[in-house]
Amino acid sequence: MEPLKDYRTLCLLSALIAMMVLFLYPSKQQKTPTYNYTFIVDITRSMNATDYQQDNQAVSRLNFVKQTLRELLQKLPCESKVGLGLFTERRSTLLFEPLEVCSAYTEINIAISKIDWRMAWAADSNIAKGLLSTLEMLQKSDSTVIFITDGQEAPPVNPNYQTDFSVLTAPAKGMIIGVGGLQAVPIPKFDSQGQQTGFYSHDDVPHRSSFGQSNLDPSQVKGYNARNAPFGSEAATGNEHLTALHETYLEKLGAESGLSYARLTDLKNLSQALQNPKLATEKVVQTDIRWQPALLALLLLSLVYLPRPYKSRRFFWK
Amino acid sequence: MNLAVNTPLALAGLLLALLPLFNNGIRTSPAPWTALIPADTLSVVIVGCLRLCAVAAIAGLVLGIAGLHRTEQSRERIGHGAHIVLLLDRSSSMDNTFAGRTANGSDESKATAARRLLTDFVKQRQTDLIGVAEYSTSPLFVMPLTENKNAVQAAIAATATPALGFTHVSKGLGMAISFFEQQPVTGSRIVLLVSDGAAAIDHDSEQKLRLWFKQQQVRLYWIFLRTANSPGIFDQPEDSRDDNAGAMPERYLHKFFLGLGSPYQAYEAESPDALQQAIADINQLENLPMHYVERVPKQDLSAVCYSVAAFLLLVLLGAKFCEVKR
Repeated sequence: MEPLKDYRTLCLLSALIAMMVLFLYPSKQQKTPTYNYTFIVDITRSMNATDYQQDNQAVSRLNFVKQTLRELLQKLPCESKVGLGLFTERRSTLLFEPLEVCSAYTEINIAISKIDWRMAWAADSNIAKGLLSTLEMLQKSDSTVIFITDGQEAPPVNPNYQTDFSVLTAPAKGMIIGVGGLQAVPIPKFDSQGQQTGFYSHDDVPHRSSFGQSNLDPSQVKGYNARNAPFGSEAATGNEHLTALHETYLEKLGAESGLSYARLTDLKNLSQALQNPKLATEKVVQTDIRWQPALLALLLLSLVYLPRPYKSRRFFWK
Repeated sequence: MNLAVNTPLALAGLLLALLPLFNNGIRTSPAPWTALIPADTLSVVIVGCLRLCAVAAIAGLVLGIAGLHRTEQSRERIGHGAHIVLLLDRSSSMDNTFAGRTANGSDESKATAARRLLTDFVKQRQTDLIGVAEYSTSPLFVMPLTENKNAVQAAIAATATPALGFTHVSKGLGMAISFFEQQPVTGSRIVLLVSDGAAAIDHDSEQKLRLWFKQQQVRLYWIFLRTANSPGIFDQPEDSRDDNAGAMPERYLHKFFLGLGSPYQAYEAESPDALQQAIADINQLENLPMHYVERVPKQDLSAVCYSVAAFLLLVLLGAKFCEVKR
């Protein structure tokens, strides 16, 4: 056929075939990792310690966590889910069950920004027990627990009464994120109106647990009396009014409960830690590939209208 | 019509649409002297049309590749509904049954009954904005006012986790009212308090709450889940010595609500059925005309672009077969 000898016709024909391919195979199935996290945020007082820097300003651990989580939210692929809970005292509560991040972005974002240490319903900070109760509470859920804490137990745990994670029937899936600096810093103290009135001092906090059986060696304790003074007569001293990230302790808790551990330094390291393939589920999603045949058609079509070399134009046109 | 593209950089390809202006893409035939050929308006028009088709086809492909779409639109509409903040009691006693016992297989706990019925309630309120706040010893901000019913349901479902501490109702109310700040006043504004107990409110908080209820024009519904043999909100004291907020916090909280000056309705539910009745009442009552915003989701237009381009390609190809070689 005569027109087929022209390269332009061939180009147009191929472009049209490319377009047919486009309409027949508009998408292909692709596996992408999606995540299902339940963030449990520690809102105990030690989280108010300001040992993070942001824009050359000291920010509290809690504010830094909130800011980082909100930034992380933008990075999560659609179809991922995020739930939110709070930890204080010796257990945590769930604010909402995991929600799809793209459709509920605004709601999750606002909810995270509204987290406040004043939401705490009780003042203790018993992290090991809190972690255990959280894992038990969320055992049936298919969400990954991300427990965000600084590891500061208040009051300190009596080694005789350590939490036993062996009661967990199924292996826990999740992560402990350690928050805070390694240098001990003071914990801000607030009045009932929310105004800071200084810092917790040495005398404000218990420096050891005086609950239950003493773990001390009676012969070494001054003023020991098995019934009346099992912990001795001397006031305990310590640095419990200062707080630093207890990394070794959190790593130990992680090892006992089966969670991995990472330290929060910035958004990049958090998202890297959380994008652990072990925590991801591969989901098959339809990916739009129409641009590929369309691009081919575009190139072929442009070829038809590419300006002719000057020489031939002069010969034929003028 | 707010149009946008996914990859703006791809729009640089629109430059390719200029190509047909320099080259008409038609096969040339040698002629001794083109000036000899008489001017033909029809030919000029046809060539112009073909060029235009080519320009449009290239532009269509480029726009399709760039991912042309209409952005999410919001349309303001007038319907019936309300802005509702669910204020849920998370105190430990909510995990007991209406009979005051630990929940077992046959009797559901107050929290479970409330959760089940609230879930249904939210399903029926399609045009409402609903937010969720909780309180025990301290208030918890859970979910901002939103039309996303899935989010509200996820928040209600999360109350299945064990309850927390005590009942500090004034702080909870304060937080619930704060939801309405920076929200347009349209339709009715409701705080739906679901609790199984009350607490005395101190004088300072009373004053603040009075002011806030008035400022934000909030209507209050109190669904009191009464446990058997516990004091109710309508009980009269048998002994005048018991007539104080410490001994009868339910009665005094009710009195305080009555004195708020804003519309208030109390329901005393002693069983899941009574709770259902209360919720049905509210569902019926709160249907004032309201401006609400309907979201029209993002609309992909690249399919249209591709179809147009494909059609124009067909036209151009057809034109090719009309060319005559002499």
